[in-house]
Amino acid sequence: MRIAITGIGMVSAIGCNSTETLQALRNERSGIGAMRMLQSVHTDLPVGEVPYTDAELKQMLGVDEPMPRTSLLGLMAAREAMLMANSQQQIAFISGTTVGGMDLTEQHWQDYQQGLATENIHLHEAGESTNAIVRHLSANSQEPTANSFVATPSTACSSALNAIMLGANLLRTGQAKAALVGGAESLSKFHLNGFNTLMILDHQPCRPFDANRNGLNLGEGAGYLLIEPEAEALARGAKILGYINGYANTCDAFHQTASSADGEGAYRAMKGALEMAQLQPEDIDYINAHGTATPNNDLSESAALIRLFGDHMPAVSSTKALTGHTTSASGGLEAAICVLAMQHGFIPANLHWSQTAEGLIQPLTHTRHQALHHVLCNAFGFGGNESSLVISAEGKDLSVASLVEMSKCREIEISDDTEVSAFVNGAEARRMTPQTRRIVAAAKKAMQEAHIDQPDAIVCATQYGCMLQSMRFLQDMIDSEEQQLKPTPFIQSTHNTIASLIAILTGNHGYNATYSQGKDSLACAMTDIRSQMALGLIRNALVLEFDEEVEAWDKVMQHIGEKTQNIAKATIITL
Amino acid sequence: MEQLIEQLKSQIIDALNFEDMTPADIDTDAPLFGEGLGLDSIDALELIMLMDREYGIKLADPKAGKAIFQSVRTMAEYIQANRTK
Repeated sequence: MRIAITGIGMVSAIGCNSTETLQALRNERSGIGAMRMLQSVHTDLPVGEVPYTDAELKQMLGVDEPMPRTSLLGLMAAREAMLMANSQQQIAFISGTTVGGMDLTEQHWQDYQQGLATENIHLHEAGESTNAIVRHLSANSQEPTANSFVATPSTACSSALNAIMLGANLLRTGQAKAALVGGAESLSKFHLNGFNTLMILDHQPCRPFDANRNGLNLGEGAGYLLIEPEAEALARGAKILGYINGYANTCDAFHQTASSADGEGAYRAMKGALEMAQLQPEDIDYINAHGTATPNNDLSESAALIRLFGDHMPAVSSTKALTGHTTSASGGLEAAICVLAMQHGFIPANLHWSQTAEGLIQPLTHTRHQALHHVLCNAFGFGGNESSLVISAEGKDLSVASLVEMSKCREIEISDDTEVSAFVNGAEARRMTPQTRRIVAAAKKAMQEAHIDQPDAIVCATQYGCMLQSMRFLQDMIDSEEQQLKPTPFIQSTHNTIASLIAILTGNHGYNATYSQGKDSLACAMTDIRSQMALGLIRNALVLEFDEEVEAWDKVMQHIGEKTQNIAKATIITL
Repeated sequence: MEQLIEQLKSQIIDALNFEDMTPADIDTDAPLFGEGLGLDSIDALELIMLMDREYGIKLADPKAGKAIFQSVRTMAEYIQANRTK
């Protein structure tokens, strides 16, 4: 099956649609500037904001109910892709995010305590921010479209690329006729302060791959691709913009926030994507790098690029100097930018670069006109969640498969702590919450009993994610008015903390993903695994079910009659 | 100085969640990173935050921490010389 791209949609600091984005890319116009929308005290930090307030976005979109900014941006980009593709199929919607409704939660935190603004509370969940997009997706398209499958991958900054991969696998296994895939993420005080505690935010416009780069600028936005089998697209006379020819997801398995010096995870992701596309390094015309402009990322990514491409280094640029780092949305936005570049025959510039240093690749500093046949798009996230995607002008036949039977090999649930110390030692446990220790113990026990040290995939399903550390960071941020915050709670607040931590502890470079889709999180994780098993991409998987009881959040949730619960369950699935 | 060193050890144990440790377990002159306590880059950020919160010392460049955090003693000496509270 050839996977055709028949629609793209995007919104970021450089434009609210493809046309505006194309113009900004061609004119090398950066959208990074002074903070105007986000109500943070850190106004000295430049950001890449979409230049509309939430109220303005709602008006533009015809929305009059509470909705996280992530959903508003997502809706804008998703509608553009839907309209462009004009597909009448039932469409699977897979949208990565980590922030979800955190922007509403941080704005209304005091209200929530007093039982006010309760209509917003349920929107906190990442999956609910995706559902909010789905509810409004069809409002402006000509035909209402029922969505067959909805999922929210949450692997930090690689979330959107993982959404694209799942979508492609659904098509290849006949589980969807079309899929709208990508991601959305708004700025929030939460993650701005979080990145600030890591001391990786540049106070000037960011300088990817430059010798004097000094961190990233956060951005916001959304980007989606509408993908469908080529045969379907041709049959309905749709215009094909490009093809998904290869992809891979790996784990660096090195550190929760830092990338390894040799870029092992990034190397494996890019190599895997090229292998699926049956391409050699010299076939790639352009690489849209992750290129955040942190000292660590750019050096590690350069090491991986040099290792894989050697003397055949194609043009490389990071478009984050234009858009800022749109975190969970970046893979979707940048994949959409790659499609635009391919359609219009140019390579976007890597702004603000002036000087090289040992170990760094040298990016393309000015927009160049060039026909593009194959491009590679990278997105790497916290915890070493690394993903790479090959987009091509000509389609490559990818294998298809019917779903296969799977069996549960070992199912381990740990609810008391007597077993924890047998599997988690003191030194590695010191940063873990009690519930994290339980899931790590459950995972190790399940692997031990199944005699599978290195599962091919580690996939976590979680409704709320790592809520204890999230609530700690949120409360400290509000109490301290964004001053003197501790980095550890932020680092461990991302939904993908658990799956990536287990990969780090066991040295697992395999497929690594996390889904946060409310009560359907496990079903999403199983759909992912089942698809990959059918396609022969994996033979076994470690499935983690994780949630933690958090008093501070339960006090809020009591107003809507819900509460959190402790779940720490690990299951080994085999063919 | 000795009092500052003892106080600092308690603060390090607390900030870095060394639950089972007491100040007596930390060698004042042993390396904090690599061998010794085996700290990593997240701990370095926590120590930078600790100096800000407890002693009013702001480090703009995380790389500057490398020389300061060689041992508890070097850290205490730096705090002594630069504290604003």
